[in-house]
Amino acid sequence: MAVAVAVAVAAERERPRRAGPVPAVAGLGLAWRPEIAGVVAAADLGFTEVIAEALVPAGPPRGVAELRERGVPVVPHGVRLSLGGADPLDPARVAHLAACADALDAPLVSEHVAFVRAGGREAGHLLPLPRTRETLDVLVANVVHLQGELDVPLSLEPIATLLDWPEDEFSEGEFLTRLLDRTGALLLLDVANIHANAVNRGQDAQAVLDTFPLDRIAYVHVAGGGRHPDDPGGPYHDTHTAAVGDDVLTLLGHLVDRLPASPAVMLERDGHYPPAARLHAELDVLRAAAS
Amino acid sequence: MSATWGPPAHPPGRCPPPDPAPGGPEPGRPEPGGGPSRADLAARQSALVAALVAGGPPPAGVDPSRLAATRRALLRKRAGEAAKEWPLLAAALGDAEWARTFAELRDGHEPVGALREGWEVARAVRDRGGLDTGAARELADRERRLRYDGRGAPVPRLRTRLGRLLRPRPTPRNT
Repeated sequence: MAVAVAVAVAAERERPRRAGPVPAVAGLGLAWRPEIAGVVAAADLGFTEVIAEALVPAGPPRGVAELRERGVPVVPHGVRLSLGGADPLDPARVAHLAACADALDAPLVSEHVAFVRAGGREAGHLLPLPRTRETLDVLVANVVHLQGELDVPLSLEPIATLLDWPEDEFSEGEFLTRLLDRTGALLLLDVANIHANAVNRGQDAQAVLDTFPLDRIAYVHVAGGGRHPDDPGGPYHDTHTAAVGDDVLTLLGHLVDRLPASPAVMLERDGHYPPAARLHAELDVLRAAAS
Repeated sequence: MSATWGPPAHPPGRCPPPDPAPGGPEPGRPEPGGGPSRADLAARQSALVAALVAGGPPPAGVDPSRLAATRRALLRKRAGEAAKEWPLLAAALGDAEWARTFAELRDGHEPVGALREGWEVARAVRDRGGLDTGAARELADRERRLRYDGRGAPVPRLRTRLGRLLRPRPTPRNT
């Protein structure tokens, strides 16, 4: 009996606390970056996203503040919390992400299923987690802790990686489903990451996508990438520095076919910015593909 | 006009102070089956980061070719970030040579931010006599305003601080 109570208490503590309706971002997004602030301002966007670590909550960039004044939802997107790190979360980073959400009156925040530092060293990169039960426990503990500090839902993004761990026990889909079931977090599904990983693992991207918890999607990322010109037979890199390729668009179409309604879709571009007209044209292509 | 061909560039963050020892109850319910301990996970993660940024050996079982590809991609990303901080230096070398020189000099070193990494490269290239006029001026200007000891964040020199005190400061504006 005592055991049953203890299990029930544990289950209650871990019950998905925000597993209700998927929150309010919709339509098309373009991730805000200073270099393309003009395009983000001019495009007819349903929402945008800012890198949380680049934001000063008390003084967001003028372009971001103007979008908020126009009522465009802005999602803080963390890249350095190291949610899957074996080290405890840095309280200052957690507080910063929460402050970003408050300052922007954000409908939700997002972070990655990854680690970025270990052993006192920064990797400067989102690194893959061993998909094991032990990692799940660490990750769940960190996510639950973060959720306790946030006033809005948390959305988690699986990363693109060239590496996998030999101790992996779960597929990505299984790992994510368990993670979201245990935390109630939402899914930020990056179809470009699924494409990249499937290419690099020799898997079928559509079949992989079908194993993900698609009913938990908060929004979707897309971006361009490719193989390095010096290594044309090498891996596919999710660079965010090229136009979205046909393979990723096809995968987005496959996703849309699997969903009861059009998902919110955000384009990420992080360098080699094209002229504004080409970015607007790319947004038009995505708008058509996502509906 | 080669692309960055690294992972997406994200703004550099700062290394947080060392975390306190873990403690307190974990809200996550361990699943049956156990597995390696949190300490083992920490050791595995440390080994991967060390292999990527500190010249450590590949962690057991991780594909060495994919590890090398990740290390190169990370160096390309860092080179791209440093080029934004040091545009004349990067331009003096050209895209391909900039990426090659940066990787040669920074491979095995932890990322310490675009300003410092470019500074290290600028000094090394200067010592080889490889700076053109513009890149030399870019480095000289930074050395005049900031003091960089190669270990910590560059700090404004005394005369830079005095100059700021004596000059009326423009109203700070967010960019």
